Amino acid sequence: MNPVFGIAIKDIKVFLREKGSLFWTIVFPILILFLYSAIFGREVPFVANIAIVDMDNTQLTNNIIYGLNQTEVLQVKMFQDNTSALEALKNGEINSVLTFPEGFSENLTHGTTYIVLSVDETNPDVADIIHSVIQGFFSKFASNPVTIKEGVSISREKLGYKEFLLPGILTYPFLFSSMVAATSAIVYERELGTLKRIRVSPAHPLSVLWGKTLATMAQTAISLFLISTLAFSLLNPKVNWNLPLLIPIMVLGSINGISIGLLISCIARSPSEASNAAVTIGVFLQFFIGMYFPVEFLPEYLQTASNVIPMTYAAKAMRDIMLRNAGFDKIFPTMIILTISAVIIYITGIFLYRRWVTKE
Amino acid sequence: MIKIENLVKCYDDVVALKGVSFTVEKGEIFGLLGPNGAGKTTLMEILCGLRRLDKGKVIVLDIDVSRRPDKAKRLLGFCPQETLLYKYLTVRENLVFAASLYSLRSREVEERIKFLVKFLDIEEILKKRVDKLSGGMKRRVSLAASIVHDPKIIVLDEPTVGFDPHVKREFWQFIKQLHEDGKTILLSTHNMEEADELCDRVAIMDSGKIVAIDKPETLKRIYGGNAVINVKVKDFHMEKAEKILHKLKPKRENNELKIFVNDPWKLMPEVSSMLFAKGVLAEKIEVTEPTLEDVFINLTGKRLMEGVN
Repeated sequence: MNPVFGIAIKDIKVFLREKGSLFWTIVFPILILFLYSAIFGREVPFVANIAIVDMDNTQLTNNIIYGLNQTEVLQVKMFQDNTSALEALKNGEINSVLTFPEGFSENLTHGTTYIVLSVDETNPDVADIIHSVIQGFFSKFASNPVTIKEGVSISREKLGYKEFLLPGILTYPFLFSSMVAATSAIVYERELGTLKRIRVSPAHPLSVLWGKTLATMAQTAISLFLISTLAFSLLNPKVNWNLPLLIPIMVLGSINGISIGLLISCIARSPSEASNAAVTIGVFLQFFIGMYFPVEFLPEYLQTASNVIPMTYAAKAMRDIMLRNAGFDKIFPTMIILTISAVIIYITGIFLYRRWVTKE
Repeated sequence: MIKIENLVKCYDDVVALKGVSFTVEKGEIFGLLGPNGAGKTTLMEILCGLRRLDKGKVIVLDIDVSRRPDKAKRLLGFCPQETLLYKYLTVRENLVFAASLYSLRSREVEERIKFLVKFLDIEEILKKRVDKLSGGMKRRVSLAASIVHDPKIIVLDEPTVGFDPHVKREFWQFIKQLHEDGKTILLSTHNMEEADELCDRVAIMDSGKIVAIDKPETLKRIYGGNAVINVKVKDFHMEKAEKILHKLKPKRENNELKIFVNDPWKLMPEVSSMLFAKGVLAEKIEVTEPTLEDVFINLTGKRLMEGVN
């Protein structure tokens, strides 16, 4: 048997029999999922308040307003003028203001027209939904173009927080099954002294890394599968399971996690330091990568910091695929970023690992 | 088979090996005898590719370990002091994993496991998880994992340290059997009895240097000092016996007379006859020959500290 597979199989067996590892990589995310399903699993539809100022006041605009009310995502409130509507927006009484300018209908029949959409951006995920709903609505409603800024659409009728949360939960294994497990996999050998047995063999030091990477990816896959299955059956989220796009993002997210884990295990001075560092970094990072809430909620300096964390891109890509029906063209740049970061971090990890092995 | 030339290894300011040189012949059991900190483990770890040497050369079957470690590692089987096994795996799984590190094919793995199961008598524990095994059994499995690839040279670092006498002797039998099968064995120990029992030749190490190399008997003859004939008689015969044997300059110590001689076995019947002729009946006459411990003390002025880990 090839040493790479030998190490991978051994690691998977050890993982499945070690209760602590199982807990961290499988049971803990599932417990979190249960918790979230208990909180958010009920059908609590998301509703955004939208003020409409109809300066055109035609049959067409009346029909549009009626149609917007039927989306169940938007609760329409009519305002007489822009000033009072924007005042209400400023006071937080509503989430957005949509203004039909005078001549809207006439312009539409002649070619192009526009609407003015003002959104309360202090709540980015709400703002994001409003942009998406309005965009989706007008792309279906009118055969002639209506100028709108956002280019994304929402493929379902209702949006709940559970839908927003699920892609974030699916990035959990990148941190705790990939990053922490990769750290543990190397630290485990170091602690037991079993790395000595591997090092006295002709197995190349890189075989050890490949083997451990494979095993950790398998652990992550198990974790992702369980979370997805449970999420599907418990939460029944209305998300887009575009597996041909999700799987590459998951693989890249996992490799990034493993690479960071590799760095931690080689930099730490002792096994316990490495384990503690990996868990602490994992717990810390989960608030910075957009797992539970949009990155935009963070202060600007933390948003900048989150931009250098590969998992932020993985979480965003997952959300784009699952919530916004993003296609390959939208996801491709993220895939490139994740690939580049994975290559850079993994190569740095290999360098540190080789230096560490020689030092040991 | 193994050639070590002027080997030097430093850890920061500490020089662990100070120009060690020796050769191990094919089919030989070669012992490195010395106290903790003598440099035995460092030497073995360099030989097995676990540490880099600072100076010198280590050749295994004409292969320079520093230049071709991967090739040399195939020829060596290293069994360290610790039982390096995965406690959550079964004995068989541990052996299969160890075999995978040497890229053994499935058929070879099965053959080797079959051989090792018989050789080390581990059939009954083959499907047991390692964390359920006794210390002695773990040690057997660790040895099995170290030699699963059928190496030509077996390196054993303190193979029986911490064992009770029964398990120790059992392990010695395995080592002897491997020797009979034609394996070359390099073992380190600070147990003089082990070195005496097993080794064809012994290198005495102290503070990173080899102070003597030879067969145990030769070392004892040259560096061990005199043998002792211990004579025990009834208390009321003690003075009479001392007078009878005065030509041999006996020393009284703990109700015994000790006679220091070069050739004890030749003199022992004479001592017995001399006492018997004068009506003194010896309760015990025994010979204590010099041990490797004596050799070590005479060479270094220190004790081996048996049992200290």
